[in-house]
Amino acid sequence: MTDITVPQDLWDNDDEGVIFAWIYADGAVVEQGRLIAELTVEKAQLELIAPASGRLRILAPAETIVRKGTVIGRIEPL
Amino acid sequence: MNPTPKQRIWMYEAMLKSRLFDEAVFAAYWEGKKPLFHMGKGPLPGEMHQSFGQEPTAVGVCAHLGPDDAVGAGHRPHHVAIARGVDLKRMAAELFGKKTGLSGGRGGHMHLYDNRVNFFSSGIIAEGMGPGAGMALARKMQKKPGIAVAFNGDGAVNQGAFHEVMNMAALWKLPFICVIEDNKYAVSVTTRESTVVQAWQRAAAYDCPGEYVKGNDPDLIFAAAGRAIQHARDGKGPAILELETERLHGHFIGDSAGYRAKEEVAAQQDPLPLYRKRLLDEQVLSAADLASLESQVKQEVGAAMEYGRESEYPAPQEALERVFARGPTGRAKI
Amino acid sequence: MTQQAPDTGGSARTLTMARAGREAVIAEMRKDPNIFVIGEDVAKLGGVFGTTVGMAEEFGAGRVIDTPISETGFIGIATGAAMAGMRPIVEIAFVDFIGVCFNAIFNFAAKTHYMSGGQFKVPMTLMIGYGGGYNDAAQHSQCLVATLAHVPGIRIVTPADAYDAKGLMHSCLQDDNLTIWMVHKAIWGLGWLGTAIKTAMATVPEEPYAIPFGKARIWREGNDVTLVGYGITVHHALQAAEKLAAEGISAEVLDLRTIVPMDREAIMKSVRKTGRVVVADEDYMNCGVTAEVLATIAERDPRVLTAPAIRVANPDIPVPFSRPMENFALPDADKIVAAAKTTLQSSC
Repeated sequence: MTDITVPQDLWDNDDEGVIFAWIYADGAVVEQGRLIAELTVEKAQLELIAPASGRLRILAPAETIVRKGTVIGRIEPL
Repeated sequence: MNPTPKQRIWMYEAMLKSRLFDEAVFAAYWEGKKPLFHMGKGPLPGEMHQSFGQEPTAVGVCAHLGPDDAVGAGHRPHHVAIARGVDLKRMAAELFGKKTGLSGGRGGHMHLYDNRVNFFSSGIIAEGMGPGAGMALARKMQKKPGIAVAFNGDGAVNQGAFHEVMNMAALWKLPFICVIEDNKYAVSVTTRESTVVQAWQRAAAYDCPGEYVKGNDPDLIFAAAGRAIQHARDGKGPAILELETERLHGHFIGDSAGYRAKEEVAAQQDPLPLYRKRLLDEQVLSAADLASLESQVKQEVGAAMEYGRESEYPAPQEALERVFARGPTGRAKI
Repeated sequence: MTQQAPDTGGSARTLTMARAGREAVIAEMRKDPNIFVIGEDVAKLGGVFGTTVGMAEEFGAGRVIDTPISETGFIGIATGAAMAGMRPIVEIAFVDFIGVCFNAIFNFAAKTHYMSGGQFKVPMTLMIGYGGGYNDAAQHSQCLVATLAHVPGIRIVTPADAYDAKGLMHSCLQDDNLTIWMVHKAIWGLGWLGTAIKTAMATVPEEPYAIPFGKARIWREGNDVTLVGYGITVHHALQAAEKLAAEGISAEVLDLRTIVPMDREAIMKSVRKTGRVVVADEDYMNCGVTAEVLATIAERDPRVLTAPAIRVANPDIPVPFSRPMENFALPDADKIVAAAKTTLQSSC
């Protein structure tokens, strides 16, 4: 099982971000390296990539406010 | 032509006013827009293009202008408006969208108009060129004194209007100054990437003087602006004045300017503390007088922002008014 | 910038309109080397609205070109390139900027195929953002769809969700004519322009697909009143339909989807069923798309209407900056609800 964590290098400062949208639904099978969510920080629209392949579990739904390092989901082995 | 001590103090005061105003606007802009940046939220909604770093261009030019003159600015108008003497309270109120704003809330930050000081601004690039030259033409036709100045960015020189208007202004010897603020970026595209020959050099094509001033230095800008403006006042026609300046922030609030190299951004110099230090070093005014001036400006800006916040919004239906000027029959209708 | 893994037919994806449109462009550019993108801030910045993110990296500076601020110049240049066999995509971030290049669009690009008797094609797509609602004031909030639709020679599509955005972009890029793909800024899917319109996001297939021009889309079926819209007003109409349903009124929501050519038969089919129509448009009222919809009904069979039609559109004023005034001017769900109820109370 792999945590989906908001990467430390996704944006420059310590501002909060917001999960704009999940690309896949909870329970969907996703592939490592694919885009799985979009985050917004100020005006920037950022991409969150699947760290592993498997079944997506969404822990933080869209519109959740997040910080770098927040765990927002998990990828479970199939 | 060098500025007198009085003019230098005026320039610093106007730059400081612009800076403090932009700082206050910056703080207010973020209200309601964190953590989710939605442009329409908060007391200062919409886009916001600020003038941090560009203050010298406005003061160096406007120091030469009087009530007979006219000034047009672009989508980044605050420093120009303030240097021109636009009513600061009503300008703040306009940014807040209040009834007491310059346009009753109809225009907003990019569309600032103040007919008491013959000032207008437009959000479309290079839009100020035509109307600016037109105000110069009117003065000529009416045999009235006064010149017109249009402030443009470095990106604007590649709009057709730039060429068309410079050609006509030169042809008809209009008392018109085209000021180009070269902050080196048109959003993300640099002057080098967009413009094959620096715009001031195009003056040769219009048989008019063109000058480039490096350094973002109010005193140097004052001197060059004086030359260009005198040329126009003497009836000799237009001039192009291109001024190196620095855009210290992104294109608009919310633009992190990730397209700029970090070293380049770090190397930028803020003109305000530099000029402040020069005035003290050259004993143009004492530290005490400077402190007093700064306190005054801070108060004025604070009062303007409060006026903007406290003023009422217009009634929604007021949106339907002022499309047309009142005719002889009385009330204007759409 | 990320590299998408190759398509393997994975799980259903919900995309924003910006991403879906971009996916279509990238797929077509990979297939056809003659397609290039040109416009302001498209290469380095990836577009002011993120329409071209990642493309300069993938296709290079030769095919994703940053221009000076010279719309008349680069629309003309793109037109010439199209006439000589290329297939340009030109980005005009804000429709308001067509003012500085309208001649190049309507007098040359739109008319060249006709004036040349078919000798020269202009396979060019303009990618344009429009609309207000976030206090960008008069010069950055317009729609001007009617202004563009009024001139012959241009095909205009206005997708209202991500699925249509991709399908219509494929159609635009495969078409040999001047096409304009227009998206209302509030439904691109950009956080900073508002996330309220979630209905604009949609499940988008990985593989390419084309949605034909001239086919409207029924988003919601109903019997009592037809709500016609395009772009953002589809979403206002959907919200209105929900509110009306709570009061026992069944509203049909019809998305024009392409403005030129307009699916007039779909309009007639719907109003024949309901007998009442409200047309919602964020563009100015006078001589607008709303008027064209009503003209269609009046010409084909006005007797289908059992009540006067109502238009909900921006009044004939520049879009005001101040929030209460802008809200007053722009259409919204409540205004559509009020109009629908009025049609049910009146008769003719």
